[in-house]
Amino acid sequence: MRTILRTLTLTTALACGTAAMADVPRIGAAVYGLNAEFMQIWAAALEDHPAVREGLVNVTIFDGRYDALVQQEQFETMITQGFDAIIFVPIDIEAGAAAVQAAHDAGIPVFGSNTRVNSDLLTSYVGSDDVQSGYMQARYVLDQIGCTGGVVIIEGPIGQSAQIQRLEGNLKALAECPDVEIIAQQTANWSRAEAQTLMENWLTAHPGRIAGVIGQNDEMALGAIEAIRAAGLSVDDFAISGIDGVTDALRAVKAGDMASILQDGAAQAQGALDLAIRAVQPDYEPMSAIWEQYPDMPWNDGADAEYNVPWTPVTEENVDALLELRQ
Amino acid sequence: MAGQQPTGTGTARNGRAMLAEFGQRYGILAALVLVCVGLALANEFFLTQRNMVNVLRQASINGILAIGMTFVILTRGIDLSVGSVVALAGVVSASFASTSATAAVSGAPHPTLLAIAVGLGTGILAGAVNGWLVARHKVPAFVVTLGMLSAARGLTLIYSGGRPVPGLSDGYRALGTADLFGIPMPVVLFAGVFLGAWFVLEATRFGRHVYAAGGNPHAARVSGIRVERVRMAVYVISGALAGLAGMILAARTGSALPQAGIAYELDAIAAVVIGGTSLAGGVGRVTGTLIGALLIAVVNNGLDLMGVESYYQQVIKGGLIVAAVMLDQARHRAA
Amino acid sequence: MNVPLLEARGLAKRFGGVAALRDGSFRLMPGTVHALCGGNGAGKSTFLSLVMGIRRRDAGTLLRRGAPVDFAGPLDALRAGISIIEQELSPVPAMSVAENIFLGREPVGRFGRVDFRAMNARAQELLDSLHFAIPARRLMMDLTVAELQLVEIAKALSYEAEVIIMDEPTSALGEAEADQLFAAIARLKEQGKGIVYVSHRLSEIFRIADHWTVFRDGAFVGTGEMRDINREALIRMIVGRPLAEEFVKENTPTSEIALELRGVSSGARVRDISFAARRGEILAIYGLMGSGRTEIFERLFGLAPDEGGEIRLFGQPQALSSPQEAIAAGLAYVTEDRKQSGLVLSADVRANLCLARLGALSAGPVMLRRREASAAARMIETFGIRTASDRLDVSGLSGGNQQKVVLGKWFLTEPRILLLDEPTRGVDVGAKREIYRVMSDFARQGGTVVMISSEIDEVLGMADRTVVLRDGRISGELDRATLSAERLVHLAA
Repeated sequence: MRTILRTLTLTTALACGTAAMADVPRIGAAVYGLNAEFMQIWAAALEDHPAVREGLVNVTIFDGRYDALVQQEQFETMITQGFDAIIFVPIDIEAGAAAVQAAHDAGIPVFGSNTRVNSDLLTSYVGSDDVQSGYMQARYVLDQIGCTGGVVIIEGPIGQSAQIQRLEGNLKALAECPDVEIIAQQTANWSRAEAQTLMENWLTAHPGRIAGVIGQNDEMALGAIEAIRAAGLSVDDFAISGIDGVTDALRAVKAGDMASILQDGAAQAQGALDLAIRAVQPDYEPMSAIWEQYPDMPWNDGADAEYNVPWTPVTEENVDALLELRQ
Repeated sequence: MAGQQPTGTGTARNGRAMLAEFGQRYGILAALVLVCVGLALANEFFLTQRNMVNVLRQASINGILAIGMTFVILTRGIDLSVGSVVALAGVVSASFASTSATAAVSGAPHPTLLAIAVGLGTGILAGAVNGWLVARHKVPAFVVTLGMLSAARGLTLIYSGGRPVPGLSDGYRALGTADLFGIPMPVVLFAGVFLGAWFVLEATRFGRHVYAAGGNPHAARVSGIRVERVRMAVYVISGALAGLAGMILAARTGSALPQAGIAYELDAIAAVVIGGTSLAGGVGRVTGTLIGALLIAVVNNGLDLMGVESYYQQVIKGGLIVAAVMLDQARHRAA
Repeated sequence: MNVPLLEARGLAKRFGGVAALRDGSFRLMPGTVHALCGGNGAGKSTFLSLVMGIRRRDAGTLLRRGAPVDFAGPLDALRAGISIIEQELSPVPAMSVAENIFLGREPVGRFGRVDFRAMNARAQELLDSLHFAIPARRLMMDLTVAELQLVEIAKALSYEAEVIIMDEPTSALGEAEADQLFAAIARLKEQGKGIVYVSHRLSEIFRIADHWTVFRDGAFVGTGEMRDINREALIRMIVGRPLAEEFVKENTPTSEIALELRGVSSGARVRDISFAARRGEILAIYGLMGSGRTEIFERLFGLAPDEGGEIRLFGQPQALSSPQEAIAAGLAYVTEDRKQSGLVLSADVRANLCLARLGALSAGPVMLRRREASAAARMIETFGIRTASDRLDVSGLSGGNQQKVVLGKWFLTEPRILLLDEPTRGVDVGAKREIYRVMSDFARQGGTVVMISSEIDEVLGMADRTVVLRDGRISGELDRATLSAERLVHLAA
């Protein structure tokens, strides 16, 4: 089996000592948690960045263990140890501001990635617009059902920025189809098992009325699929969409069960790292391939405040290639 | 064993006294019936056959964990690690049943029976470590299983690399998705586990040992019962059932997720406590646990049907747990 | 004559439809010890709970120094100078003696800080004035049971209590410790306090009490001065019928040795113990608490480590390293503390009776319900256990019936040697006699009884031979001809 021990990276980085790498910039990445597949991909991409592989920069990843306080303390550690720059993926849009302020006061530039933080002190942010993905996924479902009938929305944890913004996008698309009724709308906390139970109960409460399922992430969309199967219904009779492009969802897309929109976590990670190195070494030119991959997101000498990694709808055409990348 | 038998001498009793006694003896069952009647009136779909099957299926995983937990709590113990063991057994067994080139162990998919044996074995191993530390080394169960809660989750993430184990074989998925004469497999397994546990606790020597070792370990020891072995055994049972629950969960959701089962121990403990089993040990029945697990599932299902937000559901569930324990204490005072 | 410190007239209390107390009447004079006697269920506990205001009385009058009083709770009673020392003490183990005495009313210094110096000084002064040799700074968990009781007395006096109720105070004490308690009681008498003394132990009552009052079946039966009554008459009052003999002894020892210890050592308190018990014999082990008497039984039952020596049962050496082995070898062990190690209180009578015999009541792993029920019924019949059903919780039974359940549990294993540790502790006079009958019958039929007792009367009445222990070693062995109370006390202390 693969064993990825990200904490080891931290230990080795510290053990190697500062003397030998004195002139190599040290960049810390504080991520909210490494238990889920999406952040695994994000972290793997960061370590796979050409600059890291060539030893031009030393990167340490801190697992925030889904706790804002842990992230805050990790910031304090990085400040004490004099990191040159910090890449930040906060657990919560509000909770990270104090940490950013502290780093800013210590003169350490902070770069946001994937999740926004409510602070104007970020040097730059690399992410994808959740409103846009919410709109895209809802639009897919609505197109499938012909802008008529009933849909359900399975939401992320209420109050999280992704939930708020994806819902905004969902509703924007739904407003374009006034004939579509939202039959039910509830959180399943990004969890496949919770979504499965929720969907089973909805299928009972609203027999024959649900035509579309908008799952704000792939896990929940996959849970809905299992519920439909368990109820003895055909998945083909439902239009289902998720967001993120996790491996199981790619398989489901390949099987024709659902639609997914790939959030390119790898690009978010590598883009943020390019920007961070640039901040430390003004003559640095970006080494990641993503700038060529996404012409819609120009480098602009690393000077923009915000970089928007485009969403990639997963289709029958590109799904095999995407699955190949996950091997 | 410690059931309250009627002690009336046959003298005339008024209806209220009989009602009170019924409430004392069948309080939890009455609560379940009452909630069901209420939900049936409030929602036309509640009593449909399909919804009843749903409720049973949704109660299965928690119910299986709660039955294992009943054994442990009867001996004055607690097993906080079941949620993590669910995930660990899920990913380990799934890696034997996976068709995925990356996530599976070499040669997979192996026969379903092997994968199931591996899953049960994983749970048994985790339970044996718990039991060994509790029984032999006298470390408090709360501490041991709190440690295992963390360690098993960590092992799950190491083993899986933090990624789901997908592509489970059809045979393996049958654990969660197949049905037997129209009854979903998780429900069949839940019923089997319940009947087995009921038989063990009510009718076997080991069952008597469990009640005695929990009711008064000193007296049990003096009476020739190997209390340490009993303690060891209950953690193994809890671990094995957590393993089974983990496989059912993986089979239901279609892949084994390393994040599965977080906080499942709380619902399992809640079902046991609602079912009237005393945390002080020695008192309780697995039928109570069954009703407790059903009550939790019915409440969740009913509130979903009526479109109540899950945040309110949590509040209602919390109130239910405390109310059940209060009812239970009132029953003991009255006895 | 002066006014009674406390007087009760016709106190009554009903629970549901049942009268627990119909007529509780009692007079306590200053400077006296007044024994409150009665069998289990006589209404003593109910009476005390009404006096202390723990329960509300349905009828009757309570007078404190002649004035009617009505206590809302024990704190009220305490303020009026009435204090109770319960049978089961509830100290805060991790706190010092002084902290326990002044719990809830600690002397406070500046800034609300507890003034430990003043508290310790006051506590020590109090203890010294009572001649209790206990350091006020010692932790409660380091005290013996007797010392805990002395602390309770000191606590009662710190409230300036005039009436001190003691409920079975010697039930957990050895002879020497009881003497310490009696000396304290004598000093309280001198100070003009009144003591209500509740005990099943008649010899104690005759030793320390000035007056007696007997309750039976929830009602006052009689009262009087101790010097006007003898033991038989008092027992007749308590039991309600003449009791032919207090003790039952019809066995005759044989010469065949059943149990033999040769130089057995175990733990700190069992050193080089040798004695033998014969078939048909009742052998008593007498010793103070801490003399190692219980530890000998624990060694015999595989509950304490083997640290040398040899144990033979019927001539065969036995390892006896676990209770299972001991039971298989024909031993049965009725422990000193029923609630702690004898019964599973949360279980019913049947489960308790069958507990040590589950193997024979099952087929493979499966219990045979019918066999369990008939075994339990047999024991209930044999021992006359009074319970409405064998499915009732054993916790609801009286002390005597609970003890009979423990005996029944062991008789189901068909033992050949009975180890009894304080078999009649906390049991009323009637049930005591039934237990003596069981011992006698068992020995008469060829069984061997080894009994630990700290009640001298019981040893004198029942034992064929007595082994006396002191500090983990045997200090003497007395047969019936040489046995006397003086010798026992002499050898033990």
